Amino acid sequence: MNRKSADIVVIGGGVVGCATAFELARLGCKNVVLVERNTIASGSTGRCGAGVRQQFGTELNCVLAREAVRIFEHMDEYLDYEPGVEFRQSGYLMLAYSDQQWEQFQRNVELERSLDIDVKMLTPEGAREIVPFLDLEGMVGATFCQTDGHANPFHTAFAYAQAAKRLGAEILTHTSVMDIEVENNKIQAVVTDKGRIATSAVVNCAGAYSAKIAKMAGIDLPVWGERHQILITEPVEAMMGPMVISFHHDFYCQQTPHGSFIMGIGMPGEPKSFNIRSSVDFLEGMANTVMKILPPLGNLRVVRQWAGLYDMSPDAQPILGECPPIEGFYNANGFSGHGFMVSPIVGQAMAELIILGKSSVDISKLDAGRFERGELVFEPAVVG
Amino acid sequence: MRLKEHPILDFPAGREVVFTFDGKELRGIEGEPIAAALHASGVRVLRHSPVSGRARGFFCAIGNCSSCLMTVDGMPNVRVCTEPLKEGMVVETQKGHGHLPID
Amino acid sequence: MRQAETTRTVNLLKEVDVAVIGAGPAGLAAALACAEAGVSTLLIDANDAPGGQLVKQTHKFFGSERQHAGTRGIQIPSLFTEKLANYPNVEIMWNTNASGFYDSGELVLEDEKRFMKILPKRMIVAAGASERFLIFRNNDLPGVYGAGAVQTLMNVYGVVPGDRVMMIGSGNIGLIVSYQLIQAGVDVAAVVEAAPCIGGYLVHAAKLRRAGVPILTSHTVLAAHGQESVTGATIAEVDKEWQPMPGTEREVECDVICLAVGLMPLVDVLWHAGCEMKYVPELGGHVPVRDENMRTSNPKVYAAGDSGGVEEASSAMVTGEIAGISAAKSLGHQAPGADARLAQLKADLAAIRSGPTGEKISAGVRCATVCGGVWE
Repeated sequence: MNRKSADIVVIGGGVVGCATAFELARLGCKNVVLVERNTIASGSTGRCGAGVRQQFGTELNCVLAREAVRIFEHMDEYLDYEPGVEFRQSGYLMLAYSDQQWEQFQRNVELERSLDIDVKMLTPEGAREIVPFLDLEGMVGATFCQTDGHANPFHTAFAYAQAAKRLGAEILTHTSVMDIEVENNKIQAVVTDKGRIATSAVVNCAGAYSAKIAKMAGIDLPVWGERHQILITEPVEAMMGPMVISFHHDFYCQQTPHGSFIMGIGMPGEPKSFNIRSSVDFLEGMANTVMKILPPLGNLRVVRQWAGLYDMSPDAQPILGECPPIEGFYNANGFSGHGFMVSPIVGQAMAELIILGKSSVDISKLDAGRFERGELVFEPAVVG
Repeated sequence: MRLKEHPILDFPAGREVVFTFDGKELRGIEGEPIAAALHASGVRVLRHSPVSGRARGFFCAIGNCSSCLMTVDGMPNVRVCTEPLKEGMVVETQKGHGHLPID
Repeated sequence: MRQAETTRTVNLLKEVDVAVIGAGPAGLAAALACAEAGVSTLLIDANDAPGGQLVKQTHKFFGSERQHAGTRGIQIPSLFTEKLANYPNVEIMWNTNASGFYDSGELVLEDEKRFMKILPKRMIVAAGASERFLIFRNNDLPGVYGAGAVQTLMNVYGVVPGDRVMMIGSGNIGLIVSYQLIQAGVDVAAVVEAAPCIGGYLVHAAKLRRAGVPILTSHTVLAAHGQESVTGATIAEVDKEWQPMPGTEREVECDVICLAVGLMPLVDVLWHAGCEMKYVPELGGHVPVRDENMRTSNPKVYAAGDSGGVEEASSAMVTGEIAGISAAKSLGHQAPGADARLAQLKADLAAIRSGPTGEKISAGVRCATVCGGVWE
């Protein structure tokens, strides 16, 4: 490895790391290095469900998602990425199955509308106008936001990585971080299996492995891996526009631009682990659930199933910002299943915070210190 | 074309059945793969690829390669190289990826 | 075909001593060995009849009588099924796919209507191989077939692929299928071989020569012609670096291009089972690392036949029987004389691999066998 020093080392070549590296370079940081132990998007990014939604129950999440969508809408030009990131605003249809849930949905919609996010409230029959083969049994109501959608996570990460390289950032794949040198609470260097990189700042974008990275700097970070599984079917012609979500069934399902249906359910009792092997229980549970909600899909063949890791935090919200007492150690992890959809704005906010000292979207509530202070963020709208 | 004589093999005469291919009536042997029946009737183009529209035919004959996907009795993506022919089957060239019935 | 979800049922977990995936030569031999050892055996195949690729092999086998030399491939499956029928401890499921082997030890099977979970104590993977493809212009046109597809169409269903065939590849499959085409009354324009010499047995090549079929060594196909299906092809001579030599191109009139350019082991279930895999070109691609009893790095899982490395049907029957005897033995069951039989089989295998064409296979097998021949 030729590289001996860097202004900033970004750890992790998922979409968050790539977006952060790009935004740092865009703000003029000429000496950014991204270190990835495998290849770009080889971890949770490339394994994710690829949804992008703005329908959340807290102002902060709504704003982050709204700003991310605004970037996704022009991402191909923004990153000058010719293949395109395949962002499609085909909407999110969120289904409520109890009065209590419906009341929460109504509160969410009020909040979303106040933040300039256009969300419709629908009767079950109204939901069926959007997805004609939706089974309505037990459904109380639904909300729909047309500007939600999905993008291709591989293309998104590649687009950021390529754009970062064009601005002078260096991307070192197949390079593992072995240690982080700290002296007097200041970052000194990142030690990799290919050599030592002297630096004064580190951004920890290592997803489910973020606690291991933090430990190297002497920090106990409450982030852990949790397995989540997905399956994908054979392709058929377009027949379902939006991502369909049910918190009641812990379920989501979407038809990709290629025509395949990609879907997931949460599995109860999933332990903290780095296990990404797929299970037969998921296959069975997933098939039963999707056939209940979207019955015609029972005729589709499953072509693949796989698993990835959510990088969970105690309140299932991201951990963003500098991490005292270590000066120069920044976190951008703990996304708990929503990292891909907010990655464009997270990259921007992290770069602004590091270079300018302040981000345009206020992310101060998401610092690592909130757990000690007891100021956890509660998000009522999560799935899986 | 069907083999009438073969130095080693005997082909027991099966029951002839009628099926349709894109609306046209064709005949085949009950239980043989749909693709074999189509081939015997001179049909070599089984579909066109969804993106570039290129012709696709029979390739592996054992259900592995997905070259031969057709719509059969309304169900898309049927591998006709292994699907047995039945009396009255409606076999259609698939448009794009094929439409999944929703009823 | 798929059915409406109402007819889809999940069968309850069923336990079995040994599940054998694939009822080709290796799987049949493995199942029979298990049957003889007295373990409960479940034999699964995606087709509706036994034999795998034997069903298209109309030629007589060479080698030792123990591996049915002198018998035509198509006659071998029934020799096994007649014997298997005598064993009440054997169950056979046709039209059934093995779709996964999970960490929980569950083997998932699917047929037209059901999704089933089996809990086998041992699994023998004898899934066979798939055909390799070749890159040339218009290689996706209808009329470009795998050699196995031509055999299936012609020898199983009695339908000829076209009027005039150009065969690519002069290994045994290319030579045998060319001869079978001639037997079926189809013209063979030429056999094209990129290597400077014929790949298969000269006995087969001689039959073609007598029929007047040119075997063009140091040649390759550059392009297929035609709009909706093949109407011809361009071939050219290749130099020592396998590069086409300009000026040597010529047109071949044909409506079928048949690819006999080798096979790749079907190993998906082995990957899923977490078996240690190794890329061994001599064996056709990724194969499981195994011991001399065909056990993989997953102590529950054995490989047999082409799934352990591409060879041919005779050796598949031997590795299948070795795997069957060994899997049963690991469960504490064996037929009288099993140890002597095992030793005999290993000697047979060495004999099959001893000829000049066996050198490559033997090198591959050495490379794929765990250090010292036994797992720690």
